[in-house]
Amino acid sequence: MRVKREHFRSPKDLPVVEYVTPGSPLCAGCGGLTTLRLMHKVLGENVVVVNAAGCMTLMAVYPFTPLKSSWLYTTMGSAAAGAQGVRDALDVLIERGKLDAADDLQVLVLAGDGSTYDMGLSATSGAIHRGLNFWYLCYDNQAYGNTGFQMSAASPLGSRTATSHSGAVQRRKDIFELWRAQRPPYVATVSSHDAVDLAEKVERARGLNGPKLFLSLAVCPTGWGFDPELSDEIAKLAIETGVWPLKEAVDGAVRHTYVPNRFRPVEEYLRPQHRFAHLFEPQRDEELLTRIQQNVDDYWAPVLAEPVANA
Amino acid sequence: MIRIRFHGRGGHGVKTASRILGTAAFLAGFETQDSPVYGAERRGAAVTAFARISETPIRERGMIAQPDLIVLADDTLLNDPAAGVLVGQETASAIFLNAADPAPLVAQYHIAPPARAFDVTARTRELLGRPSALSAGVASAAAKLCGCITEANLEAAVREEFSHLAVSPDAVTKNVEIALSVFAALEPAVLSDVPRAATAEMARVPYVDPVLGASTVYNSGNAEQRHTGAWRVERPVIDAGLCTRCGLCFVECPDGAMSLDATGLPLVDYDHCKGCMICSHVCPVDAITHQPETAAW
Amino acid sequence: MSRQLLTGNAAAAWGARLADVDYIPAFPITPQTEIIETLAAWSQAGELPGRFVTFDGEHSMLTAAGAAAAAGARTFTATSSQGLLFGMESLYTISGWRVPLVLVNVSRGLSAPITLGPDHNDVLAARDAGFVQIHAETCQEVLDSILMGYRIAEDRRVSVPVLVNLDGFYLSFTREPVDVPDEAAVREFLPPFDFEHLGFRASRPIAQGVAVLEGATYSHFRYQMHRAIQNAAAVHAEATVEFSRLFGRSYAAIEQYRVEDADTVLVMAGSFAAKGKAAVDQWRADGRRVGLLRLRVVRPFPAAELAAALSGRRAVGVIDQNLSPGVGGIFCQELAAALYSVPDRPPVLRSFVTGLGGKDISQSEFDHVLSVLDAAQSGDPVTDTELLMTAAEWQQVQGRLASARRPVEDNAPLPTDSDDVRAAVRAEFEDARGGVS
Ligand SMILES: Cc1ncc(C[n+]2csc(CCOP(=O)(O)OP(=O)(O)O)c2C)c(N)n1
Ligand code: SF4
Ligand code: SF4
Ligand code: SF4
Repeated sequence: MRVKREHFRSPKDLPVVEYVTPGSPLCAGCGGLTTLRLMHKVLGENVVVVNAAGCMTLMAVYPFTPLKSSWLYTTMGSAAAGAQGVRDALDVLIERGKLDAADDLQVLVLAGDGSTYDMGLSATSGAIHRGLNFWYLCYDNQAYGNTGFQMSAASPLGSRTATSHSGAVQRRKDIFELWRAQRPPYVATVSSHDAVDLAEKVERARGLNGPKLFLSLAVCPTGWGFDPELSDEIAKLAIETGVWPLKEAVDGAVRHTYVPNRFRPVEEYLRPQHRFAHLFEPQRDEELLTRIQQNVDDYWAPVLAEPVANA
Repeated sequence: MIRIRFHGRGGHGVKTASRILGTAAFLAGFETQDSPVYGAERRGAAVTAFARISETPIRERGMIAQPDLIVLADDTLLNDPAAGVLVGQETASAIFLNAADPAPLVAQYHIAPPARAFDVTARTRELLGRPSALSAGVASAAAKLCGCITEANLEAAVREEFSHLAVSPDAVTKNVEIALSVFAALEPAVLSDVPRAATAEMARVPYVDPVLGASTVYNSGNAEQRHTGAWRVERPVIDAGLCTRCGLCFVECPDGAMSLDATGLPLVDYDHCKGCMICSHVCPVDAITHQPETAAW
Repeated sequence: MSRQLLTGNAAAAWGARLADVDYIPAFPITPQTEIIETLAAWSQAGELPGRFVTFDGEHSMLTAAGAAAAAGARTFTATSSQGLLFGMESLYTISGWRVPLVLVNVSRGLSAPITLGPDHNDVLAARDAGFVQIHAETCQEVLDSILMGYRIAEDRRVSVPVLVNLDGFYLSFTREPVDVPDEAAVREFLPPFDFEHLGFRASRPIAQGVAVLEGATYSHFRYQMHRAIQNAAAVHAEATVEFSRLFGRSYAAIEQYRVEDADTVLVMAGSFAAKGKAAVDQWRADGRRVGLLRLRVVRPFPAAELAAALSGRRAVGVIDQNLSPGVGGIFCQELAAALYSVPDRPPVLRSFVTGLGGKDISQSEFDHVLSVLDAAQSGDPVTDTELLMTAAEWQQVQGRLASARRPVEDNAPLPTDSDDVRAAVRAEFEDARGGVS
């Protein structure tokens, strides 16, 4: 099941223009970069990206920037506050006639999951609380990627990171729900695999004044341990197994924008990734595999039980 | 002191190679240091690592600008000025090239130090059956050129370093075999102590306007000047005849290293394409094929 | 101009108001809170055209302040103590952006143990953060320094943030008469912020705070901050001339109080310098030739002025209201470095620490300082910092310590050897000196 598309029917309808040039030092096959590139295409020009320390910080290494728009690197813990400073400044300068309204910009926070779920949560929650009119893109690679892939509060159950050698024992924080609890006008999950879904969501959120939060599963060949060629395949499997639900919440009301007709077993998603290899070798960890599948099933059961008002 | 500088790409294992050499020299009773350049190390991107071996305490640290030995895992790096393979070649007593025949490279790139060569890639492929990290073979070449490391030290070092990596016992044995075959095939270099330049003029750094006094870039989008195409180990090649112009590859390219021509045919920007091959994988009609770009793997 | 009875905090709020700031990110902390409450009230009453926003903490607040300044807004913010340290990462970040703004710090001792009384350990923890740092002695000086602060920060020869420090309680909550200048005169002194070289705008994208992964270029940027802050000395001097022309008050980097013919000079900073001046007056009345230097501009450190003012004196005593554990008073160390190459530097330089956590300083303590200086010999160790405390205070402290003990431990004596250790260190130092001479 897929929700009706309002703005883009197929990938061909996406804007051709690029705001992120090639030549950045990010890994080949980086899903976070794909998401940013796609989101920026739809947002259009006139953006200032406010970045939290993480992999994407190395997009711009002096004297180069791949962005045709503006960029401000802040810290790992305060990107949303930086966004507030820039947004407020633009507003007040325009209000006071010191800046031409044509020079206004959309403010986009770009932060990893470590920043989003952990260190920057206070700053982000504060910005949501104040109703800051901004975009927030969390490229969720499910660990502290830039420092060599250590565990974060987004690392999924069972995943191996550099600080969880036998696999994370906790479940991920549900940041979508944490955000939604504050009732910002728009919260969505997206994926680089479904560019049209992503574009639709940006377009739907565009008119809303306030925090517009995008959580993207950012497939990470380097940290997750798979050949970059498989980036899109892994992203697709995350969706088709139900591990990564595509959804949005407008003023808190949730709807799923895509529901697989037939869910593929979670194993298909886990198996190609080195970070889950210990679940299969030297012997299968049946118990954990069952739990992971169960968690996914438990998530979807109430969703699937709902009347198909979604479609 | 022998100063050894390794050049390769992320994934070649030059950091491991420098560690194997360091461990071998340590086991041989020398004072030794090894270190990688720590940066945004990405698969395919140029990587440099260093080792120093000495009979007396080492009073140097960090990068080696004037090496005694240059060890190159992938000759395509000679095309990338940023990799700096030949920097300081004046002081080098030898350069190791991962190739069957060094002569064409020596001629093409005006390589000054005496060149030694061995096709480590071929040997690695032969024994491991697939392109893989070259660390054992490359470290072994360096160890032999140094002339002060025994076969036994080398073997122990390979075993020691591979024990830290998550590889099977069989792979360790094969890597030892690769190392020993490279070791047997090469002759030690004739090391001569070329005097190092000691005087450089000093600069007086002035105050500059805040425009250039902070790390601000005004030249938006100038990352295009960085040619990440050099990272590529495989080249995506589009068959225009097969392509249906669906645009999927263009959309999914992380780097935006593709454009569409007037007919909607995707064109790869080979100056920047990192060779992730996502485009090939997403193509519904298999119109994008893989062509090997470098012989190193 | 109007003359009003204002607390230091109110004077700070007036400074921000008169500077016609565009943006005020805020977070409460004692003893600073009155500043943001005052500004919030003005803002809500429509008396402040700028925007007032409260944050989730000082790390965010300071990031937002810097980001707004980077975007071209004239920005004011204020904090204290724990807040300054909580925002420390942001301090370094925003000065690295080379953006002008004014940050007021109301000094308060640091936790643990948590306290409310003032000392300078908070503000001096930020001394290397790439801010110009000005320490005020009076409420008037607080207001004036904020106006001067914007002028200095926004000068292209500087373009780094300015921190203005005032002492908690002794200034923050103390009312005294303050001349509040007219807006028109302030406009003349401080024209609107010309942010031509800064700012994010659609027509001119820039990438700011870009990572620098190469040492020489990084060194260049860090060194630029040093040069910028050095330049602030001249810009401060120019601003002083203009300020004095418009408002009739003048501030030098160091204030020299009755030092003309002094053989002995005290060095102090902040509001306690007023007490130092009173002590000087008393000694002068007794015929002693003693003066006082007050450090006003702390960054750039006024080394040349201090050297010139102190050369040829017999004895200098630095009374630090801060303590760098393991070294002693911070200003004393910096002063020692400034005097090192002065040919006729004072043969005696001694370090005293007092006023931590707001502990008062009495005339007896000043007298003690003078007697120590009188008795001191050339070559006494500068690092031998003495904590000033009266016997009565120490007795009270001991009483509190006793109350904190578990009753069963009754009066079993605890080992105390601090004096022995001090004596031993001193003996070693003297040995070492004997050894070389
Ligand atoms: C205060 C602070 N602590 C630690 C770091 C080191 N650090 C830099 S990036 C990073 C990881 C960030 O993780 P995430 O937000 O998930 O982004 P990713 O690196 O995965 O892109 C860390 C821990 C830092 N920059 N700042
Ligand atoms: S580590 Fe992962 S998220 Fe980071 S740049 Fe590489 S692929 Fe992207
Ligand atoms: S291989 Fe294809 S998807 Fe990858 S960078 Fe090159 S053009 Fe883009
Ligand atoms: S994905 Fe294949 S068919 Fe579609 S545009 Fe690319 S090359 Fe052509």
